[in-house]
Amino acid sequence: MKPKIECRNISKAFIQKGTQRVHVLQDISLEVRDNEFLVILGPGQSGKSTLLRIIAGLETPSEGSVQLDGREITGPGPDRGLVFQSYMLFAWRTVMGNVEMGPKLQGVPKAERRKTAQRYIDLVGLNGFENHYPHQLSGGMKQRVGIARAYTNGPQVMLLDEPFGQLDAQTRYFMEKETVRIWETDKRTVVFVTNNIDEAIYLGDRIVTLKGKLPGRMDAVYDVHLPRPREHTEMKFLELRQQITDASELVL
Amino acid sequence: MAEDQAAIQSLGTQDRSIADEVQKSVRERKPLTLRRVIGNEYFLYVVSSIAFLLVWHHVAASGVFRGALSTPWQVVERFEGLMTDTLAGLTIWGHIWASTQRIFIGFVLASAIAIPLGLFMALNPYVDAIVKPVFDIFKPMPPIAWVSIAILWFGIGEPSKIFIIVIGTFVPCLLNSYNGIRLIEPELYDVVKVLGGNRWNEIIQVSFPASFPAIFAGLQISLSMAWTCVLAAELVASRSGLGFIIVQGMKLSDTSLVIGGMVIIAIVAGLSSVLIMGLEKLLCPWKREIAGL
Repeated sequence: MKPKIECRNISKAFIQKGTQRVHVLQDISLEVRDNEFLVILGPGQSGKSTLLRIIAGLETPSEGSVQLDGREITGPGPDRGLVFQSYMLFAWRTVMGNVEMGPKLQGVPKAERRKTAQRYIDLVGLNGFENHYPHQLSGGMKQRVGIARAYTNGPQVMLLDEPFGQLDAQTRYFMEKETVRIWETDKRTVVFVTNNIDEAIYLGDRIVTLKGKLPGRMDAVYDVHLPRPREHTEMKFLELRQQITDASELVL
Repeated sequence: MAEDQAAIQSLGTQDRSIADEVQKSVRERKPLTLRRVIGNEYFLYVVSSIAFLLVWHHVAASGVFRGALSTPWQVVERFEGLMTDTLAGLTIWGHIWASTQRIFIGFVLASAIAIPLGLFMALNPYVDAIVKPVFDIFKPMPPIAWVSIAILWFGIGEPSKIFIIVIGTFVPCLLNSYNGIRLIEPELYDVVKVLGGNRWNEIIQVSFPASFPAIFAGLQISLSMAWTCVLAAELVASRSGLGFIIVQGMKLSDTSLVIGGMVIIAIVAGLSSVLIMGLEKLLCPWKREIAGL
């Protein structure tokens, strides 16, 4: 089967302070399969967010190329949805206003886009909060809005950039559960970036680990053959966790 | 295993309870005690206001300033008279209206030019590069410095006063709308890009609404600037307005008139500031309210 997303030998260098070149990614090659939940796991400063932004089309690789369905990615587009670590909600719009923004920009008529938006607001569990403004919501709820906003635009691929990094441990655990529930209800290809090894094993069909410090390089790929719903305390879960910890530089 | 299940159950209820995370303040009823009355902030407001008036009255009555300070009551009586009697052909209401009208015209004129210009400068580097050098020369110039040239150019009528107000309010209006856009989190534009929007969408959906609070902050600063300017202009040459009342009081050694003029300016300027605040609340219902402000 042809991969959904294919990254070929991606390298990325930023120019800082005029002349200084900072290598962020070096020779990354990976494939994402259709409807797969792929987790990119790496420590801070391993370029994982940059990799996601390249797939989103917000950055262009210095070398190499990214293809979606065999077509080269040249810029951002509604076929890919991005969820940001710091939520990035429009503070001046209500939950509904935020969620319906994608179809609104595409010129979808109000009644129709409201219907789609409502479906995803319900899916992420924010029913009843349509008219709340972001500052009235907790962190977990804000990110639910972020997820619903990305989903409503009907992307084939969901890109999540450490979406639960700002949440406390308990809320984070629930949001992971919710993520699986949402993904199983409405399947998409997902690329999920995290620095949290438990989150990676809990969520991923496959885990790609990156080596830090900069530049980020490919480390290893792990297949996670655990039935869902998964348990953090399962023997196999812990074995895999140990295996990844031993092999990587992730200090826990 | 059973414990695990129980743990998950309890976590599960927490999961559902996220819906209750919206914060609402709860007011408890407490019995009315002397301690609570004295500690009540409104009670203290009244106490401090009365204390201020009493101190003022006693200082004025003691004659330390040899008649150059009238008592609060004298001021009130003087202006009660002015509500029906006229000064230079206008009652007190006429003078208040004269100043307010100038402020309004100058303020609207300045913000209508300065806010769009500031937005353009922040959004387009070429506009920025063309306007900035000229603007930087005028920026640090105190608006009062324009009074003389304004009178030479426009005479002592209305245009010179409005001109000074425009000059004074222009700078804060422009700076704030400029900074309002410059300080926007760049990732917010990424959101629009990823959702399939173009540059125009970015400006309409992000730049404008996100700069609203900064623009309103600029309007507030502009407004107090406008009152300073109108006063200065009216002090120099005018036949009407609150500045004129003050100068008139000085010329006639009518202290009540001077002090009353000052108090009325404070009240009217304060009210206009509240008006802007109300407008902001109306246009930015999403802005988080900061307690105590």
